[in-house]
Amino acid sequence: MRGSSFLRVGQAGFKSLRLHKLRSMLTMLGMIIGVWAVITLVAIGEGASYDAQEAIKALGANNIIIRSMKPMEDKVQIQGEMQWVSHYGLTNADAARILKTVPGVKRVLPILIHRKNVLHGKRNVDCRLVGTYPHYPSFTQSRIVAGQFVNEIEEARRENSCVLSHDLAKKLFAGENPLMETVTVRGFESWQVFRVKGILEERTDLEKLPKNSNVMGKTLSSNVYIPLSTFKSLYGVKNIDLSVGSVSSEVVHLTEIRVEFGSVEEVIPAMDLIKDALDKGRNGKVDYEIQVPINELNTLRAQKARDTRLLMYIACISLLVGGIGIMNIMLATVTERTREIGVRRALGATRGDITLQFLVETLILCLIGGGIGVVGGWLFATFRHNIMHTTTIVTEWSVILAFGLSVSVGLVFGIYPARRAAQLDPIEALRHA
Amino acid sequence: MASPDIIELRDLGKVYDLGAVQVPALRGLDFVIEEGSYTAIMGPSGSGKSTLLNILGCLDRPTSGAYFLGGDDVAVMTDKELSQIRGTRIGFIFQSYNLIEQLDVVENVHLPLFYQGKDIKDCYDHCAKLAKKVGLGDRLDHRPMQLSGGQQQRVAVARALVNEPLMLLADEPTGNLDSSTEQEILDVLDELHHEGRTLVVVTHDDAVAGRAQRVIRLKDGLIDQDLRQVPTVDRTLSE
Repeated sequence: MRGSSFLRVGQAGFKSLRLHKLRSMLTMLGMIIGVWAVITLVAIGEGASYDAQEAIKALGANNIIIRSMKPMEDKVQIQGEMQWVSHYGLTNADAARILKTVPGVKRVLPILIHRKNVLHGKRNVDCRLVGTYPHYPSFTQSRIVAGQFVNEIEEARRENSCVLSHDLAKKLFAGENPLMETVTVRGFESWQVFRVKGILEERTDLEKLPKNSNVMGKTLSSNVYIPLSTFKSLYGVKNIDLSVGSVSSEVVHLTEIRVEFGSVEEVIPAMDLIKDALDKGRNGKVDYEIQVPINELNTLRAQKARDTRLLMYIACISLLVGGIGIMNIMLATVTERTREIGVRRALGATRGDITLQFLVETLILCLIGGGIGVVGGWLFATFRHNIMHTTTIVTEWSVILAFGLSVSVGLVFGIYPARRAAQLDPIEALRHA
Repeated sequence: MASPDIIELRDLGKVYDLGAVQVPALRGLDFVIEEGSYTAIMGPSGSGKSTLLNILGCLDRPTSGAYFLGGDDVAVMTDKELSQIRGTRIGFIFQSYNLIEQLDVVENVHLPLFYQGKDIKDCYDHCAKLAKKVGLGDRLDHRPMQLSGGQQQRVAVARALVNEPLMLLADEPTGNLDSSTEQEILDVLDELHHEGRTLVVVTHDDAVAGRAQRVIRLKDGLIDQDLRQVPTVDRTLSE
């Protein structure tokens, strides 16, 4: 280039593009939309996947959850033999057997849940009564906001102590200090009074699980936690559920058993052993389901990889379309500026100078278009994240990808018109009207 | 004592190869143009005038013979070398001015230097001086669209001078101008001639050719007439 630097060619390019501002803007539009779409779509996908992954991680990647499930056969029995009470589900013996026989299992956490109604003064809130062991908070990575969780002594003495979930405490006490106060849990059979010992906050990201996920039941935020021993002595294991239009009664010893492994690697190989331990003495009746967060996490990751690939194809196509648009305009520009090319050649420009000039003009269009797209995508993501409070994460790689693609599109689609311009015969070009 | 030769053509020929037929445009030209001379090249259309202009301007290469420009045989140069020659040794003045519309006056004047890798910041004064010399001192930042035809051609003249060329090559420089503006431009060319520049003007206009010291007439690719004359300006001055 005989020393005429890229910068000066760039300045000259700017001048040419400024001459036709509207055309330059429209030419860039394809690139702007393409880059914006890549960054925005990836950010939305990334945000959703981040929430879901965090939620599953919160369950613990080295945990599994075994949940009692009403077997299909029972429903038939109900109809056939008019059986009102169905017996099914997990027991403490299952939990003990898993802990004892399955290698790698560190702890188990039995949980029994009934739907109840909790009262304090005139306030009255639907809730889940959760009977569990004192190591519930450390097991579920929940946070004690105030007071303490129920302890071993209370468990052993079957005391009427309870811990409220943070949201429930707010609803029930509305700003008053609930500690050492009492709440009344109202059930179908009995009313029981509990002393509030503490307030627990579940990991909030659990609520951001994907909609089709069955990781947790509903009303996560309104829980009353009591010792499992207290639960069983007060309510037994028979649960009568009055829902609209139906009455159901069932005997379930444990709603779920959570199993914690020493490490993530031990989870998958142990699955068969867990099933073996559970199937002992069940006569082939399947009244449980096993949920493996690590599996869901992997499924989610695979799904995310698929989604990302799809987005990338879409992005590539939109940038390709943008690139073709740019090439089209540049070819028209070359024809339109044939005479200018001839003049420049007459005044000493080499073919290389002409190639560079048009290539740089195309590149500038792509760079500015890409830049606007990046800024637009980032602004949208920031708006969505901060104002609409939907997790949206602009990933570095999407910015690099989008920008890199727009620059390569510029180079690829710019080179042909630029070469065409350079190959023009200066005499012919000068004669061009 | 003869002036050193700027241009020497030796049996210069040009044949256009149109595939099926070979069309000879120039059939052996021999002449010399001395430094500081003012030559007009004339001839009817089809005489080879344009072909000669393109070869003299290093936009095209002869198919036979030799063309020495400042001592170098241009006929054998590569495309890149020809670009270099055009950018450093020849100043073009076109019939339709051919300014670049997105550039202002000074930037247009600077253009040949741009392709020699010279930054406009370093030679702004030089370019501005040339623009002032052709009478556009108060329009340095105007765009071509804001200038009249005569003014545009003045810019083109300044642009042709910016690289201190061996030869100014003008192709019908007044073809697009009215008669009074034509006189202005021809006066500018006369002035350049008197400064000692070498001028070659291709024209079919006798009034334009009359300003030159020498008129070469072409016919069918050959020199029909090579006439040395007293320029009309000098004639009026001597009267």
